[in-house]
Amino acid sequence: MIPGKYRSVSGRSANNVNCGLHLVIQTSSLPEKNKVEFKFNRDSPSFPGRLLQHDLERNYSSRQGDGRVISPSPRNKSSCISSTTNLTELYGLEMKAATSSLSAFGDSSIQTPSKSRIRQGCHSAGPNISGDHINLVSSSMPSFPILQRSSEEKILYSDRLTLERQKLTVCPIIDGEEHLRLLNFQHNFITRIQNISNLQRLIFLDLYDNQIEEISGLSTLRSLRVLLLGKNRIKKISNLENLINLDVLDLHGNQITKIENVNHLCDLRVLNLARNLLSHVDNLNGLDSLTELNLRHNQITFVRDVDNLPSLQRLFLSFNNISSFDSVSCLADSTSLSDITFDGNPIAQESWYKHTVLQNMTQLRQLDMKRVTEEERRMASVVAKKEEEKKRESQKQSLLKEKKRLTINNVARHWDLQQRVANNATNQDRKDSASPPQDPCQTEGSTTSPFPEDTGAVDSGITSALQGLSVIDTHLVEVDGDTLSLYGSGALESLDRNWSVQTAGMITTVSFTFIEFDEIVQVLPKLKIKFPNSLHLKFKETNLVMLQQFNALAQLRRMDQLTVDPQGNPVVNFTLWKYYVLFRLSHFSMQKINGTEVTQNDMIMAERLFGILAHVASSELPQYRLISILGDARKKQFRYLLETKGKKPGIVNEENNDSKRLVGENTNRATLNYTTREFYNEKLEDIKEKKKFCKMYIEDLMKEATEVNMKNEALQKLWPQMFIELVRDAVIEIRNKNSYMKLCLQQITDQK
Amino acid sequence: MLSPERLAQPDYEYLAQRHVLTYMEDAVYQLLENREDISQYGIARFFTEYFNSVCQGTHILFREFSFIQATPHNRASFLRAFWRCFRTVGKNGDLLTMREYHCLLQLLCPDFPLELTQKAARIVLMDDAMDCLMSFSDFLFAFQIQFYYSEFLDSVAAIYQDLLLGKNPNTVIVPTSSSGLHRQRPALGEAGVPEGVEASLFYQCLENLCDRHKYSCPPLALVKEILSGVQRLTFYGFLGTLSKHPGINQALGALPDKGDLMQDPAMDEELERLLAQVPGLAPAVTATPEPGCPPSRTPPRVGSPWRPLHHPRKVDTESDGSTEETDESET
Repeated sequence: MIPGKYRSVSGRSANNVNCGLHLVIQTSSLPEKNKVEFKFNRDSPSFPGRLLQHDLERNYSSRQGDGRVISPSPRNKSSCISSTTNLTELYGLEMKAATSSLSAFGDSSIQTPSKSRIRQGCHSAGPNISGDHINLVSSSMPSFPILQRSSEEKILYSDRLTLERQKLTVCPIIDGEEHLRLLNFQHNFITRIQNISNLQRLIFLDLYDNQIEEISGLSTLRSLRVLLLGKNRIKKISNLENLINLDVLDLHGNQITKIENVNHLCDLRVLNLARNLLSHVDNLNGLDSLTELNLRHNQITFVRDVDNLPSLQRLFLSFNNISSFDSVSCLADSTSLSDITFDGNPIAQESWYKHTVLQNMTQLRQLDMKRVTEEERRMASVVAKKEEEKKRESQKQSLLKEKKRLTINNVARHWDLQQRVANNATNQDRKDSASPPQDPCQTEGSTTSPFPEDTGAVDSGITSALQGLSVIDTHLVEVDGDTLSLYGSGALESLDRNWSVQTAGMITTVSFTFIEFDEIVQVLPKLKIKFPNSLHLKFKETNLVMLQQFNALAQLRRMDQLTVDPQGNPVVNFTLWKYYVLFRLSHFSMQKINGTEVTQNDMIMAERLFGILAHVASSELPQYRLISILGDARKKQFRYLLETKGKKPGIVNEENNDSKRLVGENTNRATLNYTTREFYNEKLEDIKEKKKFCKMYIEDLMKEATEVNMKNEALQKLWPQMFIELVRDAVIEIRNKNSYMKLCLQQITDQK
Repeated sequence: MLSPERLAQPDYEYLAQRHVLTYMEDAVYQLLENREDISQYGIARFFTEYFNSVCQGTHILFREFSFIQATPHNRASFLRAFWRCFRTVGKNGDLLTMREYHCLLQLLCPDFPLELTQKAARIVLMDDAMDCLMSFSDFLFAFQIQFYYSEFLDSVAAIYQDLLLGKNPNTVIVPTSSSGLHRQRPALGEAGVPEGVEASLFYQCLENLCDRHKYSCPPLALVKEILSGVQRLTFYGFLGTLSKHPGINQALGALPDKGDLMQDPAMDEELERLLAQVPGLAPAVTATPEPGCPPSRTPPRVGSPWRPLHHPRKVDTESDGSTEETDESET
């Protein structure tokens, strides 16, 4: 603000005043020197002198620090000389005003000394300037008409003077009319405003239709309220500094290219700049009382600053070059504007023109000179409401989008962390195996890079709204048309939700991101129930690392598309993965894998590569293994279901039957199934336990058997000898037949 | 039926050494696991089937790793199963990475450890660039050595390290060891210009190892043959030669010779039959035999190429001939 003020009041204008004062002082002192004695005279020039003196003092006090402000001493020539011709003209004007006021009451003889006086004065100011002024004065001085009115006229129109169509080329010297309030020079050929600085009561000055090229000579007319300079040749708004009471300023039909030097006109109500060469509107601050601004027929492309005009009611912008509402958007901020015209601008041709203007400027009562009707207003408001809704909707959308993005980022972070931890763990496990620890950096790079932190791009409105979302979920479920997208393992729980039949039926694509594949496997039975129409599965960042993991997908009801994003799924880097999928999931008759159509050749290739595996698996597996594997698969599914929804045995059973049926359809590869790591480890534990038992059992059995065997062997060894001994004993016993018979008889009788 | 060793040991130890107990334990475990189903078709039938599958080498399909590596016979069976199932992949000419081979292994054995695959790949790739592509046969033979002689190779690696550091491998007392030690040290002093260790010294250590080793070792004669051909060698150089040696492969008896690696007429025939069904994309039900009906299952089993391959070399294959075991357990 301060530099602007400096500029507008400017050192130049201060100089003007200084120099003007300088001259006035001279002129006022000259009469004494030359003894051209007029009492009236003496007083009147001194009056403005005093005024200016006063002005000067004020200027001095306000600008003491400014080096450019110079004392009126002739020694300080350089700065005087440096001033432009504009200034010198102004000096001249001041001089003339002074001299003419002198000569107005004297006879013609006075003019010569006055000439010399001026010359002297100018001389003291500087040789260059004096040369100019001599010319000017000598050429124009003789032609200044001196106006005198009869006393009746003076009495009749004591405060007004009209010199319309007088073919004047210069302003005449008007003498003895200090109380004039209204002066009219319409339709003359005046090129310069001159000889009126003594009319200090002037309120109304009309110079319409002349040939004035510059606003000048008005600095003393401090009470001027109406200044009409229409249809002249003015190129620049200037020298209005002292006209602080100006109420109406008409500059239409000139060659002004820029609005400037008007900011101090705080009482100005009407400003007419129609038919000029303005290319834009700005620099309007300070015009606090302006109610009407006419800017018709310029070349305006944009309007600014209008919202700084608190009283503006009427604004005429017809026939300009405004083509978008954005370039005049400040109008919407004006609360006082009630009447505006845009006709003759490109903008007025647009279909949206009327309702856009009306909706943005609800206070408007007239548009393009037509009353704004209620109907129009209503229409505009309807359109506006619609647009507002659209905007809000889009904002909501983008808010949601942003929330989604943030959540996904968050999920990605979690995932990343989890992966790194897992990697570290496995690396620790494999420490002694000296495996190249390339995995962590690989996964790190692949997971973080596609999700850069670019929150900076968000609208300010959205960010403010997002602050409410600071607690971000670690998972995200999104239904978009026929696609169900799940981010983060927590999202899998959403499958337990009660989906409406319609939604569930519509879902044909299910996409998993940032979820461990093993976790997905466990919800596949649920997926099958909840979304019976899902045909397309998408996996991204799911840690698909092994071909056997695809086995798990075989349990689905149907599927004709599979998309496995290479990101976070190393299995896709394998040359064989696609064929394996085709082979293992051949019962689905897949249409597309990763967006590529499956061809007959692919199918044959898949069979060629893995057919034997299936054959071996199905035909060479011993019966007992087959039973146990298929049984396992069934049990596994059963268990997943039990874990998740044990309360509904009906469905479980049905599902179990279903899986049996499926297994039946596909026996030849059903043995190729996938058990999640966790489950498999559990199973291994179980196996260990059972094996331990078996081992003990067999050990015992074996011990027993070997012992029995040993005893048997020992017996076998002893038996021949034993037999001989036994026989020998028997023979010895029966050798004496008589005694033996006796003995036997004795035994029989004893028994009785 | 009763070999001389049979009488030299207590029964229990003999059975344990011959892994009979392992199979019996496993059989009981299987029985335990599926007792409802098995009791339906008879326990005698189950045992018959079980030991038949052990003979044929199909018992290891989709089993846990601890079982697969439990006996040399299981290892050989797994190698054979791997070859049979994925021969077509090799035939197709695809070069695969270590991880992809690992995935294939995991299709047959879900908890197959990555470490073993990595070690096998290291044999092929000579310990550098683990992401390189390998041909099927290269990988298969390297994997055979690594998998079958896993424990032996670990010991060899330790010995090699010791030799490299100039240390005398512990508890090995060889007459020439002191001189070997002296020779080794200057070799190291020359900033490792001659890479690896000296072959003859290495052989002595290995010989000693094989004597003590309770796990299976490659035939010493063949090791000697390999080592006698060179002056010095590196660990992976040794393994590489070992894996490419046809004699070792024959001794193992699990895989055909390198030249015949892609040949498996019985399976090719089967494959043709399967392929014939593909063009129509007919449902699998009509295509493949139901596992439940024995007639369709038995023929391929009988025609399984395990036996013809196995028998001729029976003399120098692993001493625990599976036939013996089955006979024994059935009596």
